[in-house]
Parts: sequence; structure tokens; C-alpha cells
Amino acid sequence: MEVIRNFPDSELVDNLRNGKKLEESIKAIYRSYFDSLSWYVMNNSGNRQDAEDIFQEVIVNFIDLVQKDKFRGESTVKTFLFSLNRFAWLNELKRRGKALAREEKYEKAQDQTELDTSYLMSNREEKAELVRLVGELGDTCQKILVLFYYENMSMREILDVTDYENEQVVRNKKYKCLKQLEKMINENPALKETLKNLLHG
Amino acid sequence: MDNFTHEMSEKLVQYLDGTLPVSEKEMLEQQLKEDNNLQEELKSLQVTRDAVRLFGLKQKVAGIHTQMMKEKQPKVNQLYTSRKIIRYAMAIAASILLLFAGYTVYNLITITPEKIFAANFQSYELVTNRDGNDSESFILKSYREKKYAAITDAVYDDSFSAEEFFIRGLAFTEQNNIDSAITSLKKVLEVNKTASKSAYNDEAEYYLALLYVKNKEYSEALELLTKISESSDHLYHERVSGKLIRDVKKLKKR
Repeated sequence: MEVIRNFPDSELVDNLRNGKKLEESIKAIYRSYFDSLSWYVMNNSGNRQDAEDIFQEVIVNFIDLVQKDKFRGESTVKTFLFSLNRFAWLNELKRRGKALAREEKYEKAQDQTELDTSYLMSNREEKAELVRLVGELGDTCQKILVLFYYENMSMREILDVTDYENEQVVRNKKYKCLKQLEKMINENPALKETLKNLLHG
Repeated sequence: MDNFTHEMSEKLVQYLDGTLPVSEKEMLEQQLKEDNNLQEELKSLQVTRDAVRLFGLKQKVAGIHTQMMKEKQPKVNQLYTSRKIIRYAMAIAASILLLFAGYTVYNLITITPEKIFAANFQSYELVTNRDGNDSESFILKSYREKKYAAITDAVYDDSFSAEEFFIRGLAFTEQNNIDSAITSLKKVLEVNKTASKSAYNDEAEYYLALLYVKNKEYSEALELLTKISESSDHLYHERVSGKLIRDVKKLKKR
């Protein structure tokens, strides 16, 4: 049976930064914040699916920001996530051409202060486009690249979970896949430029 | 990118991956400082790598999201299931109630005293006179021959016996003279009571009850029907069903 844990903010952020207990930490975020964050979306013109999509986006961005050391604990995790969630949803509504009603049903927690996280959540559409491009790669390419660059697996380990003859074949395949994706991204110069600033900024 | 050789491109990827041998790494870093195109290509690869990492993270979160939504679902399902059960139960109860109400209304509309009478009345048959006994009274003989008017027209100097009152009651009934039929059958009970006898008592009570129904004298009918129903040794006990009593009660309530 799974042990359900809650982490203090500092431990949670450490876990996300180092990739330790990542799954457990993400689940803790879900258990602590999903209901209240999704409530905000669903009470401001969104439906359940919108709330789930926005929450996933918030988690991905939060982890990304933590790993890039852009969350330094100036606010609580809760406040930070609320701000990300709010901005992401307002931005999504704007993208859809909907204005949010003036009387925004947003309940602030007591310890919550208004944070401007918009700069951290900018270029939502470009990020989404980027993820879409990786999704357009073949399954094999996706798998090898993700195992190597996200899961940090060695060529030896990847060889064990694929059907290739040897490490060199895996290495060659990984190189080709990376170049293929690079080409797909470069075919959209505006995207490439934005992402250079976004992912490396 | 096109300006780079395949070899240089591979070296950049190795550099990106941190797998380039130290000697080559230093050389490449020197080249990077001097070559803007090379720097651009490295940035392009870094963007590509980070895109994969973002994709991987998104996949990871999506997987956990699915699990977490399932974790939340049982409560919702359980709640939904119990709500569904309650809803079904209420629907069934409502249907039964509706059917019952419909049935009751139907019965109220369709039950008539005539129908109850017709459904329960059977012409009384005298026991067959096997020995051809000529001493059989005029009334009994006439009844056997279905000469009902002859019976009701007959006038005796002496008063009628319980049996004769009973046959007269039936003869009036066959002629649809309900009031007289009731009077004759009531006489059966009176005569028996006076003589402390019980001949044709049970028969008279049953037919009298049916005649009361037909005559819309429901209280009197119910009194007799209840008595018959509660007396297991009554000759007509089996003929008086609960439904018959309920139907008469419904007629009374109208």
C-alpha cells in the first residue's frame, strides 16, 4: 500500500530540484492543491477538463522553474502555485478570446499575497508547440530521447530496454533523432528564437 | 547547421551530452568562443534537448495525473454509485407507487356494485330430489322449474319457513326485485333466530350481503361479509375473499 506523505515546502522543493522522490512529491502537490486550484478554474468560466489541463501545466512549469532555480522560496509553494494557476488560466481565456467576468471568484488563502508570475509563465503557446513537435517524432525516437535526456539513462541502460544490437547503434539512433527534432524546431524560426530565450533565459 | 560537417555536429552533440573526451572538449570550447555559427548550433541543440526534457516532464506529470484522478475517482464513483442506487430505488418506488395509484384509480373508476354482484352471484341450486319425492313444497318445486314469478306470487295462510323465505329471496333476486329479495332473506335470519335454528342461515347471509352491495347498502354488506370472512366454518367462508371486502370498502368510500 502506498504511503501518502505531505512534505514541508523546503523538502518538496528540494525533491523537485534534485529529482528525488519526484513522483511522491508530485502526488503530494496533487493532494494538497488540485482541488483548490481546479476550483478557481471551474468557477471562472472553465470546466473540469480545463482545470485538469491547467493544473498539469502548472505542475510542469513549477518543476521546470524549480529545476532552473527560478523559485527561491520568496513565497510559499501554495501562493506560487495559485499565482501560476491564475495566470495560466487568464492567459488561456485570453487566448480563447474570452474575457473573465469582473467579479472574479478567486479566494485568496490567508497567507497568500498577489504574485506576479506572468513572466515565468510566458510563451505558453510556444512551449505547447514545442511539446507537440516532440510528440510528432516517431515512438522510437521519442523513447530514446526521453530515456537519455529526461530519465538520464546511459546508453547501456537504454540498450537493455530496446531491441538494438549494441550501444553504438543506440547512440547513432539517438543522434539521428535529436537532429531530426532540431530540424523540426528550426523550421519554425520564430519558435526557435522564442525558445532560446525561454528555455535558456 | 548545413555549414557544419557531420563530424562537427556529432562532436557538438557529445559536448552537449557531456561525453566528449576532455582533450577534444577544450578544443571545442576554444572554437566556440571564436565561431558564432558554432555557438548558434550549440544553442539550437540545447533548445532541442530542453524540449525533450520538457516533453519528458509533461509525460511524467500526465502519468501521475491519470493516477491521481483515479485516486480521486473512487470517492466520486462511490458517491455516484450510492446516489445511483438511491435514484434507482426512488424511481422503482415511484413506479410502484404510480402503478399502485393507477391501479387504485382504475379500480375506483371501474368497480361498480353491479360488477361485484355479477362476479360473485351464482344462482342457487337446490339439492337434486333423487327419490322423486312428491312431498316437495310448491315453492321448492317451482324454483327447481325456474318458475320464479309463481314463487313470489304465492300466498300462504301460514307463514313461510326459513327454507321458503330463502327460496323466495332467490326468486325475487332472479327477477331483479332486490328490495323484496333483501326482505325475504332477512326473514330467514329472523325466523331462525326466533326458532333457534340455523337452516339456510349461511346461504341467506351470503346472498343477502351480495344484495346489499347491489343495493348500495355497503355498511350492511360489509358487516355480513366480514362475519363470513372471519368464520372459518361458515359455508361461504371460501367465497368471501379479501379483495371482495376491499372492493366493497372502496365503493363505500366513494
